[in-house]
Amino acid sequence: MKSDKELRDAVARSFGAAGQDSVPSFEKVWGAAETQVAASRRRYVGFAAVATVAIVAIALAIQPSSEEPPYIQVVDLLGSTSWSAPSDVLLPNKSFDIYQEMPALFESTELAGGTLL
Amino acid sequence: MRESDALDKNPHVSRAALESIHSQAYGWALSRCDFNNAAAEDLMQQAYVELLSGSARFDNKSSLKTFVFSVVQNLARSRYRRIASRLRMAKQYQQQASVEMDCVAEPDRDPNIWNVVQELPARQRDIIELVFCRELTVEQAARVMGVSTGTGRVHYDRAKKALRSKLQSEWDLANEVR
Repeated sequence: MKSDKELRDAVARSFGAAGQDSVPSFEKVWGAAETQVAASRRRYVGFAAVATVAIVAIALAIQPSSEEPPYIQVVDLLGSTSWSAPSDVLLPNKSFDIYQEMPALFESTELAGGTLL
Repeated sequence: MRESDALDKNPHVSRAALESIHSQAYGWALSRCDFNNAAAEDLMQQAYVELLSGSARFDNKSSLKTFVFSVVQNLARSRYRRIASRLRMAKQYQQQASVEMDCVAEPDRDPNIWNVVQELPARQRDIIELVFCRELTVEQAARVMGVSTGTGRVHYDRAKKALRSKLQSEWDLANEVR
């Protein structure tokens, strides 16, 4: 087996036509492929339709209402609200003014350099 | 120019052209699936699905046969790797059983030469099959295998050398026995 041709012929002969007699018809394989592609397209279309419906539903749900928001009258608002400072709870009596009575401080009588300490 | 039965998503591919190379492509698919008919049929169907859906687009830069062989090869690599390894294991088991039962598994082939081809590394085996048995050029075979032409030539040369050497030693052994 010196030449490439001899080698090629020997391998091709050995390979033979095994399996070739059982080739499924083109029509059968092609038809199955077409069916698969069509089914996949149908699935895609179905999915796209469901997705579209879902998107529209979500868009409708989150859409801002077209009605005018009801305005609250200032008088009603003032009558319905009250405010107190959060720190009021720290006082013995609410609204007690700690500066009403000034504490008497002891005055120093000692001098330092002519100035009361 | 678009043919009348050209595919919608693959305008350079016609159904008639595919039909004309169907048996060759099936033979290649069969080889990719360790000669399991059901797996090869499924592989061919997937290849046609790729062509019909336009996932694999033929751009006329190679022959249609090379292109379809490449699609089959890529699909076999990605989808049938696990199945192929299982089939190979099953086949090995089958071969052991058939040796024990003293029967020939593939009667159409010269078992010696084909067994020698099967013993080659995967790339060398593939290029020998594509060039010797599927009538592709080395350039086309390299394209199908997804390697450069240079790499394809290296595999081809190494495969021929390995094949010659193995066959020579087998024949020498056979002559000694006689």
